[in-house]
Amino acid sequence: MPRQTPEALAALILVSPVLILFSLTVAYPVIETFRLSFYDIQGLSRPRWVGWGNFTELFGDPDFRNASITTVIWTLSSTAISVGIGFLLALLCSQAPRATYPFRVAFFATYGIAEAVSAYIWLGVLRSGDAGLLNAILGLVGLEHLANPWLGDTGTAIWGVVAAYSWTQVGLPLMLCFASMQSIPKSLTEAAFIDGAGPFSIMRFIVLPLSMPGLRVSVFINLLASLRAFDMIFVLTSGGPIRSTETIGYFMYRESVTQFKLGYGAASTMILLGTVVIVSLPAILKRTRGIG
Amino acid sequence: MRPSARAPYWVVGLVGLLALLWTVPVLGIFITSVRPYSETAMGWWRVDEVTFTLSAWKTVWSKYPLAEGLAASLKITLASTALTVALSPAAAYAFHYLKFPFRRVSLIVLVNAFVLPQQVIVIPLFTLWRQFGLIDNVWAVILPYVGMSFAWSVFLAKNFLDDFPGELIEAAKVDGCGPIATYFFVVLPNSLTSLAAMAILQFLWAWNSLLIPLLFLRTDEPMPVLLSRIAGTYEPNLDQQSAVAILTMVVPLVVFLALQRHFVAGGLSRMGLKG
Repeated sequence: MPRQTPEALAALILVSPVLILFSLTVAYPVIETFRLSFYDIQGLSRPRWVGWGNFTELFGDPDFRNASITTVIWTLSSTAISVGIGFLLALLCSQAPRATYPFRVAFFATYGIAEAVSAYIWLGVLRSGDAGLLNAILGLVGLEHLANPWLGDTGTAIWGVVAAYSWTQVGLPLMLCFASMQSIPKSLTEAAFIDGAGPFSIMRFIVLPLSMPGLRVSVFINLLASLRAFDMIFVLTSGGPIRSTETIGYFMYRESVTQFKLGYGAASTMILLGTVVIVSLPAILKRTRGIG
Repeated sequence: MRPSARAPYWVVGLVGLLALLWTVPVLGIFITSVRPYSETAMGWWRVDEVTFTLSAWKTVWSKYPLAEGLAASLKITLASTALTVALSPAAAYAFHYLKFPFRRVSLIVLVNAFVLPQQVIVIPLFTLWRQFGLIDNVWAVILPYVGMSFAWSVFLAKNFLDDFPGELIEAAKVDGCGPIATYFFVVLPNSLTSLAAMAILQFLWAWNSLLIPLLFLRTDEPMPVLLSRIAGTYEPNLDQQSAVAILTMVVPLVVFLALQRHFVAGGLSRMGLKG
């Protein structure tokens, strides 16, 4: 016992600031959001217990159904675009690792910019009329009939936001996939080449399987980031026009903050959390197993 | 895919061209900020008339509370980076080397909290901060930034300790160092690379975040919030708006470009891959 105490005491001193702050700002709010999701709270009136009421109301709410569909489109397309472009760029860069270094940094740099700034930058690209860069380019190549108020059109606004968001995200998959490809031993591709393997087989049987770790982590990080995305949508469209760019992560903000329906907003947040946990399950299991 | 000794020129040219196109939208806001609005109203690329002027850069300071915004951003970012770097490695050390009750279960909860979206914590935090009288106080933002960072920062520091030479710890024990002295005199001085990676990740995240300060601060809003309030308004002052965007971008961008090697390494070990 006397030998045990100092170690446990020392651990307490070193760990408690982290655990206290974590409990206050993360653990308690998560539990409280869970609790709130079972109450009906309208503005300042007394909270009323409604059981699963908020959830059944959500499933019948066309706005929430719309936000769920938008979330799926937004998450899958921005992940596919970011990781797809990042992987292809990594493939190109790995052909000339040294010479393409400054260019990789340029692609990666947009990842270091605040989403609010990236959104402002993309307002300049997607602006309606000739003042938008995209419309001006279309005019320049003789496609002026395709010019569009991209963010003002319910059909195209989501793709405008996806493009702007993917632009900020490509850097990370590029760097992760590139790191994976660099760790493939040169002798492997050389041996395959000597044995007569074409570029396609080298790609299919050597590069792709061996860059899987980077690719897998990229897909996971991008899925997670786009599920919780808020900033880009807030600045570019505020969920509009007519809620065509409203994801669950934004729906929650509108219900809780602008409509003061805290219980309803909390319930939608729990659905977002459930989705995030399902997507993260492999990573959670891996982390938990790694803890001795 | 042909493995060749020298770099294929067409690859370098193609990647360079794409990188150039990639950065054109950023170039736009720099050009807009140094030309009169009358020239760029129909697009910053118009060259019918080209005048260089710093008038937007001079007037923007009185038009928007930029000095306060930059000060708030710096205060929030530096304080939350300092706290994360001061607290996480100590906890990681205790989790890694010491035995104490609930060690395993609290570590499992802590490191898996990395999946939590900010949306899950903001509403109860708002009510809590209102009870504490912390709304419109920078600590209302700093504390959750630090609290949320632990999920990845403790994990990052603990991953680093996996490769820490055990002989050093043993030697300190033989010399009569207690656990806390061992941490401060042996582990901490030898963990500077992991601290650097942690500091960069937290600095960028704290500077760039929008949702939490948007909800908890009223006056002295940090730069991203300030920008989000003026972006997309129909005021004919894109030159000034661009100046605000550049000021919001430049600090983290310089940090990012200068230290991006650490950033990749930190990002990799944050996800449990070795960098």
